[in-house]
Amino acid sequence: MKPIHLLSGGLLVALALAAIFTGNGYELYILSQVGLTAIVGIGLNILVGMSGQISLGHVAFYAIGAYTVAILTVDHGLSFWVALPIAGVLSGLAGGLLSVPALRVRGPYLAMITIAFGFIVEQSAAELDGLTGGWNGIMGIRPPQLFGESFSQREIALLVLVLVLVSLVVYALISKSPWGKALRALRDSEVAAQSIGLNPILLRCVAFALSAVFAGVAGGVYGTMSGFISPESFPFFESILFLLVVMIGGADTILGPVIGAVIIVLLPEAFSSLAEYQLLFVGVLLLVVLRLAPRGIVGSVLAQWRRFRPEAATRVDEGDPVLPSRAASGNRLVVDDASISFGGVKAVRGLSFTAEPGCVTSIIGPNGAGKTTALNLIAGFYAPDTGTVLLGDEDLTGKPSHQVARAGVARTYQTTQLFEHMSVLDNLLMAMVGGRVTARDLGASLETPERRRKAEGLLAFVGYRGDLRALTGTLAHIDKRLVEIARALAFDPEIVLLDEPAAGLGDEDTAHVARLLRRLADAGLTVILIEHDMSLVMGISDHVLVLDSGAKIAEGPPAVVRQDPRVLAAYLGEGASAMPARTAFVKAGEVALAVEGLSASYGASEVLHGLDLSIASGELVAVLGANGAGKSTLMRTLSGLHRPVDGRIAFRGEAVEHLSADRIARRGLVLVPEGRQVFPELTVVQNIRLGAYGRPPADLDAEVERMLDRFPRLRERQAQRAGLLSGGEQQMLAIARGLVARPEVLLLDEPSLGLAPALIEELYAILAGLRDEGATILLVDQMAEMALAIADRAYVLSSGRIVSSGTPAEIRDSRLLEEAYLGDAASVAS
Amino acid sequence: MLFLSALITGLGLGSMYGLLALGFYVTYVVSKTVNFAQGSTMMLGAVLCFTFWVTLGWPAPIAIAIALVGCALWGVAVERIAVRPFVRRNSEAWLMATVALGIVIDNVVLFTFGRDPRGMPPTSLITDTFSVAGVRVQPQQVLIPLVGIGLAIAFTVFARRTRHGLAMLAVVQNEAAARLMGINVGVAVSVAFAMSGFFAGVAGILIAPLFTISSTMGTMFGIKAFAVAILGGITNPWGVMCAGLLYGVAEALITASFGSTYTQITAFSLVIVALALRPEGLFGRAGVKKV
Amino acid sequence: MKTPSRLRLLPAAFGMTIAALGYAMPAGPAFAADPIKLGHVAALSGASAQSGEAITRGLQIAIDEINAAGGLLDGRMIELIQRDDESKPPKGLIAARELIFNEDVAAFFGGIDSPVSLAIAPLANQEKTPFMAVWAAATGITRNGADPNYVFRVSAIDALVDIKLLDYANDKFGATKVGLMLINNPWGESNEKGLVAADEENDAVEIVGIEKFEGADVDMTPQLTRLKDAGAEAIILVVNAPPGAQMMKSRERMGWDVPVVSHWGISGGRFPELAGPTAGEAHFVQTYSFFGDQGEVGEKVLGTLKEKYSEIDGPEDVFSPVGTANAYDAMHLVAMAIEQAGSTDGDAIREALEDLQGTYVGLIKTYEKPFSPENHDALGPDDYVMVHYEGDKVVPTE
Repeated sequence: MKPIHLLSGGLLVALALAAIFTGNGYELYILSQVGLTAIVGIGLNILVGMSGQISLGHVAFYAIGAYTVAILTVDHGLSFWVALPIAGVLSGLAGGLLSVPALRVRGPYLAMITIAFGFIVEQSAAELDGLTGGWNGIMGIRPPQLFGESFSQREIALLVLVLVLVSLVVYALISKSPWGKALRALRDSEVAAQSIGLNPILLRCVAFALSAVFAGVAGGVYGTMSGFISPESFPFFESILFLLVVMIGGADTILGPVIGAVIIVLLPEAFSSLAEYQLLFVGVLLLVVLRLAPRGIVGSVLAQWRRFRPEAATRVDEGDPVLPSRAASGNRLVVDDASISFGGVKAVRGLSFTAEPGCVTSIIGPNGAGKTTALNLIAGFYAPDTGTVLLGDEDLTGKPSHQVARAGVARTYQTTQLFEHMSVLDNLLMAMVGGRVTARDLGASLETPERRRKAEGLLAFVGYRGDLRALTGTLAHIDKRLVEIARALAFDPEIVLLDEPAAGLGDEDTAHVARLLRRLADAGLTVILIEHDMSLVMGISDHVLVLDSGAKIAEGPPAVVRQDPRVLAAYLGEGASAMPARTAFVKAGEVALAVEGLSASYGASEVLHGLDLSIASGELVAVLGANGAGKSTLMRTLSGLHRPVDGRIAFRGEAVEHLSADRIARRGLVLVPEGRQVFPELTVVQNIRLGAYGRPPADLDAEVERMLDRFPRLRERQAQRAGLLSGGEQQMLAIARGLVARPEVLLLDEPSLGLAPALIEELYAILAGLRDEGATILLVDQMAEMALAIADRAYVLSSGRIVSSGTPAEIRDSRLLEEAYLGDAASVAS
Repeated sequence: MLFLSALITGLGLGSMYGLLALGFYVTYVVSKTVNFAQGSTMMLGAVLCFTFWVTLGWPAPIAIAIALVGCALWGVAVERIAVRPFVRRNSEAWLMATVALGIVIDNVVLFTFGRDPRGMPPTSLITDTFSVAGVRVQPQQVLIPLVGIGLAIAFTVFARRTRHGLAMLAVVQNEAAARLMGINVGVAVSVAFAMSGFFAGVAGILIAPLFTISSTMGTMFGIKAFAVAILGGITNPWGVMCAGLLYGVAEALITASFGSTYTQITAFSLVIVALALRPEGLFGRAGVKKV
Repeated sequence: MKTPSRLRLLPAAFGMTIAALGYAMPAGPAFAADPIKLGHVAALSGASAQSGEAITRGLQIAIDEINAAGGLLDGRMIELIQRDDESKPPKGLIAARELIFNEDVAAFFGGIDSPVSLAIAPLANQEKTPFMAVWAAATGITRNGADPNYVFRVSAIDALVDIKLLDYANDKFGATKVGLMLINNPWGESNEKGLVAADEENDAVEIVGIEKFEGADVDMTPQLTRLKDAGAEAIILVVNAPPGAQMMKSRERMGWDVPVVSHWGISGGRFPELAGPTAGEAHFVQTYSFFGDQGEVGEKVLGTLKEKYSEIDGPEDVFSPVGTANAYDAMHLVAMAIEQAGSTDGDAIREALEDLQGTYVGLIKTYEKPFSPENHDALGPDDYVMVHYEGDKVVPTE
């Protein structure tokens, strides 16, 4: 417990005691009401704050508790002290039961299920006449007795205070126990939680049940306190108030629900002389608090407190790097003939390979080759349609991801999937116990000296030097990567799957990650790596697997793969000789698009560093570079989808860097985005018509006709939904959709991505035709040879900088291009 | 005969739910948010129409038109006040914020419109009943499903055939690409909320002659309509309308055969069961999960 | 910059909390010259808000008369303190507690909602504060089994109304088979018991069907159809005005001209407007009507109403007349009891009420010994009148 908690908690208890000993019957009743509401709120906070779910039916559990106590004490003469625990248990069971249909749904769907549950309980209470007294309810519920004496209102208020304190302690214990942390892990990233072996179904069920127990106990006391309950005591509106108690006080804070309850219950009473305006007032108050204090009152106070009194950082000590112990088990991972399709598209076909312990096995290939899908097949995120995945003797095929994880497979993600609202230390600790939490852990602390030492060792091993207590959401990009790797190691895996661990990293950091991965393999782990940075792949891999269009096209040691002509063709493209050169060279006109000092970043990591480039009207300019060089970011920035950090974009002499994407498009700077991005549910013709939305031509029908003439394949399919088209057809459609706006400058992002060679040729022939008609085009493509074949000029982009520019011939001669794509040959040796 | 009259009633109520649910649909598909207090907007439609037509004595068509404009504007206001600020900071608090705004408008209406429920003066749509297979039917009862289904068709035509309709559907399917087409996504979201308000207003005005007008009249309708939207799989306009009709008919049949006491329990239990079996709704489609 | 605005909120929130605590806690000793505080817990918002307003008018007119005549207990004025129960029993309970403990009221009045009054009755007995029901008719409010009993009523009582309704259906319409249409809430349940009990005593009439509906139901033809099929010759209706109007509209839609005999709930709102053309076909029970020949008190009260509320020009503008009439008489009876008790002590007032000396010439009738320790209801079947709407006017049918 932090001092601020003790201080504020102590203050509240003192205030409450003072109020209880001076209050009259009405005040005691209201105070007790505050306490009971707080208890429900504290329980609901487990659901809302810790596990990030929502319930708009919590009054149902409150009602179940109240009716249980009322029926048992009034009809069956049971003691209140026996009835109250039963009420808690029954509510908990109901909560667990409700979680079953609620498990598979999120957001509004979950809200609906809980609303429905609330109504069912309220109505059932009204209809189960014999049991609940129907609409008349149950009267004459006696106050609790102790040593033969009935509790007075004051003693009931004291009982409530004790229960509030107990609830707070229980909440605090759960909060720092493995269970509480596991719930938060699930809230922050469900995939990552599963990948460290957490079972989301079990966890959500427990969260629902626990939260219902609190509400049930509070309801039980409510019945004896008011002496009377009826279905009308538990209206739907009360559920909304309970949720508000948590949100206004501050979700995922210990005292939040208490403060929330004070406000929600006391304020309307304070204004009871304005009787009829109470509800209006509550509504306005809610809006104001939700708008101004999004983290709730306690959450906002804590945030301010931290700003003025930052806690001393707990740094990782140098030395003592520790590695996982299970590493050297010697099991190899064997993938045999694995295939999977999505909606008729074969994402991975017949993939077979073996990953040896102590080796780095890399999977490379152009974008869309199926690399991440392959990783997902291994990790159990997808079940393969055919084929098997074996780890040693254990068959992992088709098992859910948390079970695959428990078998010893850890992974990291393309975009880091840390538990962002948890500390670095907790991220690791969670992985250590992941999937192995038991009921006994409910009261235990997640942090033990032994676990902490191990976590520090791992962090030292990966080279993290920051604060142990920092929330991972606030870390620098490289630190996120390192912590994610450390978390994977904390899970004690045999195999680590890494999906682009160097994406978005600078050269120095990339080198650091490379050395780290090598050391992992040297320590006996099986490392499977997907990476676009070829210097990294070629530098550390023992074995390289090349995928193209879902199939393996080459495999072997890096030096062999580098020389394989099929690999070069897959990366650089082929058939370029068939491209028609420019027939009539149009003299370049005035500058259509000029970019100066353009920088762009995602969060903390800068992706583009001060780019300069320009296109004259009538030119076709290509921007080349490996994946991750920043090509797509450049295109997104030019089109206004991504806001630049610095620099100027002048389109026909006017600055457009501050304009929104739709405005830029209306001016005629039109992007055909990467991955086609057609509107799948609309027909071909509707897609084309929509292309002209921002710049409607005088005769749209004629313009659409012209596009169908230009792309005869589209005419055949004009009434079909775009989602049903093949990749090539979708690309044609995307270009047609861009052209129909009669753009001044057309930006083309990776048009050949994922297309078969024949289609690529057809596509490039069309682009050459456009060029010859005088269109101004900026083309980004991984297929460098193809792009160079039709371009007038080209820029080569590497790590967010332009490293070379010139005519196609000059670029080809400089050899810079190959290095940019397949890595520097010199670095392989290092 | 009991069955037939239940069917007629069910279709009428069902198309009310369907219309309100269509309002949930149109904002959800454009912005992944809804006005949780849709029932209040419905109430606003009835209250405004009553005020303009009965209290102020304006001609009915003008009163209805202005009431509907008011509902559409209210929809836009809800989005600006209670949805956009929260969506901008990636918070899901819009759900509670719209509930809060619903409470506010309910109470403002309570103080301005008055506390006692009012009734629309009967028109020939109510009084000129005719008989179908021995069941007496008011024209209004027929009008409601006709307008409901008609609006669903009109909306589909607007969405599928017009430039702006296509643009709204595009925002649903791919927001970034829509912006690249020159579509202002902010405006599209506002228009969606305006349409949502419009649908709710139409529902309110249609039901008013059969019901009583008061500040609380929309609450249960709103909740049931939300159940309907969820059941229909909130991303499918026809699914939503069908679910509305199904829900209305089911409700009427349960009332007819078991009495109205069990209607809510049964209907809401069916909602839970349906969602447990088909988490994406009866007519919804599951998306492909991606890492 | 979002932070400054959030920062500003924090002191505001704390301020409000402290204000709340401050508001909730003031309780000081009463001084002799203080006004006599009387409470009123009723629906002041929501669908039944009009009933609360009607009661308020009755109470206030009586209070004004009493205060103008010099107040009670040697010049102490009566002060009315009102709290909203939103028609919800838990809210009503809290409001009643506040009136008893914080405002220290000598006695307090109830509202239209039987469920709320049923919830408050045990509290009134426990805290020995007289509670006067002026509208809610559920039998169990006054007949609550407590001794001594602090709950009184100047209003109809379901058990007696139910007998009257069955008799009337038989006498007026010659119905031998009746069907019940009851709202699905405690009031409906109270009347279900009462009507079934009345049926057992009454050989001329038989209940052939009991149907229930929700307040928010739009269409009640299924229930009515079942009653029709069961052979009902009259409908006994127990519900408030808005759903009652829905019932009348459903009946109209079916084209079934069965007589409707109703409890008085339908008089609580604009029933004629809500129910439409057939509103007049529902005959219902009242304790008082401002139409027809008015006695001296009636003229006086009607005059005051016209004077005080500009929208009232005649009896047709007095909405929910029973609320106003019952409250008016009840306030005068309570005032007499306080004067007789000579103090504001709850027990003394109760004893005075149970043994009220002298005659009170009231609006509804002339009261002599209206209450006794056994009987806490001032009105009986002889005080009920059957009425129906003619346009907006409530006109006696007998």
